[in-house]
Amino acid sequence: MAFYDGVFDALGLREWCDGTSAEGPMTMEQLLAQARGEESTAVETELVPFPSLDNLHAACGEIPRTREMTSGVENLFLSVKDGLKLVLDPLTQPLSWMLEGTLYVFTAAPWWLVIPVLLWLTWYVSRSRGVTVFVAFSFFFLAFIDHYDAAIQTLAIIFVCTGLCVLFGVPVGILMSKNNTVQRMIIPVLDLLQTLPSFVYLIPLIFLFSVTEPKLYGIAIILYAIVPVIRLTDLGIRLVDKDVIEAANAFGMSGRQKLFGVEIPLALPNIMAGVNQTIMMSLAMVVIASLVSAPGLGVLVLRGIRNLELGVGLVAGLGIVLLAVILDRASKAALARVNAIHETH
Amino acid sequence: MTELPKVRIRGLYKIFGETPEAMMPHVLAGMTKAELLAGHNHVLGLQDINVDIQPGEITVVMGLSGSGKSTLIRHLNRLIEPTVGEILLDGEDIMGLSQDELCRMRQTKMSMVFQKFALLPHRTVLQNAAMALEIRGTSLLPHKTVLENAMLVLKVSGHCGPESEAEARKWLARVGLEGFEDKYPHQLSGGMQQRVGIARALTSNSDIMLMDEAFSALDPLIRTDMQDLLLELQVELKKTIVFITHDLDEALKLADHLVILKDGAIVQQGEPQQILLNPADPYIEDFVSDINRARVLRVRSIMDNEITQNDFAQDLDAEDTLESVIAISGGDTRQSYRVLKDGQPVGQLDMKDLVKALVPRAASGERPVV
Repeated sequence: MAFYDGVFDALGLREWCDGTSAEGPMTMEQLLAQARGEESTAVETELVPFPSLDNLHAACGEIPRTREMTSGVENLFLSVKDGLKLVLDPLTQPLSWMLEGTLYVFTAAPWWLVIPVLLWLTWYVSRSRGVTVFVAFSFFFLAFIDHYDAAIQTLAIIFVCTGLCVLFGVPVGILMSKNNTVQRMIIPVLDLLQTLPSFVYLIPLIFLFSVTEPKLYGIAIILYAIVPVIRLTDLGIRLVDKDVIEAANAFGMSGRQKLFGVEIPLALPNIMAGVNQTIMMSLAMVVIASLVSAPGLGVLVLRGIRNLELGVGLVAGLGIVLLAVILDRASKAALARVNAIHETH
Repeated sequence: MTELPKVRIRGLYKIFGETPEAMMPHVLAGMTKAELLAGHNHVLGLQDINVDIQPGEITVVMGLSGSGKSTLIRHLNRLIEPTVGEILLDGEDIMGLSQDELCRMRQTKMSMVFQKFALLPHRTVLQNAAMALEIRGTSLLPHKTVLENAMLVLKVSGHCGPESEAEARKWLARVGLEGFEDKYPHQLSGGMQQRVGIARALTSNSDIMLMDEAFSALDPLIRTDMQDLLLELQVELKKTIVFITHDLDEALKLADHLVILKDGAIVQQGEPQQILLNPADPYIEDFVSDINRARVLRVRSIMDNEITQNDFAQDLDAEDTLESVIAISGGDTRQSYRVLKDGQPVGQLDMKDLVKALVPRAASGERPVV
């Protein structure tokens, strides 16, 4: 005798309830009880149980149980999966190629070529002797402790993913800054992407793509890391001095001239701050991405956790921190350089 | 005033709010700004503005904050769209222009100088001055080929061609900024930044210059310098200038034609000397009462047009200020002077009339002089 029997009787739904009494999947409780080898005796401990799906099901067989609801969600996803995959697979294939290609180039090139190129790149963006020396020291240290290969793989993934984040994020940010409706529509999506626990990204992606494909972790990293660059591009363009925009209008600048000649250059410090954040976030995601076959330092961290190899995990973690510091300092130095040029009044 | 006005503003109304058009009947029925705001939550920005802006003259629009003067000047190049009314530029209604035509009109016919300078902080002084020409040079044009237009899309910033650079250098030198071409705006003082602003407007080589409180952000000495610079340039260039200010001294110094705005409506407009001598209502009386009249009024405004005597102490020029006449007379009020214009006698001035003119006069009826 279930608690809510009376309710259904009173509503005259008893007949409908007992219409088909096919056995659905078990409740989680029943499943656990079975696993423990007990009889499934639903003991109502509470005086008035909450009218949840499971409790209502006990009184009325027609009401689905929570497990049926979750499996419904699963079935829904599985039913659209094939169609989704048909569209998304070719669209995202270039990402796989890019990741594979970059990883190949970075790992195949000898260290005495890669390190100087990276140092030159650091110098080019930061123009800071201190940062360049620090980067050089870090790379030689990582190579010295035989973490060079893993670090360079992680770096390759970050380069590709942040590059794509900027490529897609900046135009989206510009679009948002130009149109309030677009902004209102995109902000909830950004909030969702930012608050969704990083593992949850992986769940639908694993079903859509095979775990061995690089694009799987590529998409996860990009989705996670693209948010700051979009937000700060939007903000940066909205914050451009209204007087300067008015002057641009008064001298007859077209929308295109304003965008490229005034708005983007003046929003650049903010956009660069967004890029810095994007780099940091993709680095955070790269460890989690190791769960789905992303190579690099994350794999070593994962090995440390899995096999309880404390030293391996810690040293690899330290390597990630070192990479983070390098990338942060280099991009901050670039940002400072941009700021110096744009310093107003 | 035989020439056609360069710009005519006819029956211009501007209402800010959700449904400005729906408010027009109320405004036409005589509802005041305060009533409209309280009853309908709309702001009456401008009402029934009619101004003729003559070519080659400085038209000064004066009013206190919130009087709508900045709104008015932004209607001239349609930075703000009017609710009702027409703005005729050389006889053509600019309300009929398409977006592209409007851009071209702003590029070629009007330039603007701003209170807060509004220079591009990431460009050098030279690039800022050349901005107008550069905009023209990189605008997409229907008569150019697709390839040329595509090249223009890619060519976006900073780089200006040799001709526009030469033009910009010329005007920078003219406003006294030679040697500063490669500095950035933030490296210059406020006065120098505004000189760049003026050079930028002059480089565009447009007939009309709109100056929105251009000198208000500058300190008094620099402001006087800039006013002198503007008058000096004006003698040479004869631009049609619309100048916005809240400072009556500045307005009287610069204006050929003075428009006084209050709460979005014109209280009085005309020749500044006439406004000073014949204020139309108490609002303007209050305004002009603080003015150093001796420095502003000129002999031509108060002289007697007929020559009735021939015993003159000295000859004066019609454009002399009363201040200079007082200096000449040494304070002797018994003197009379003959007034010459371009060497021809045009009238006479009795010192007693001069002294009377120094006292602000009530517009209507007798007002006791304090």
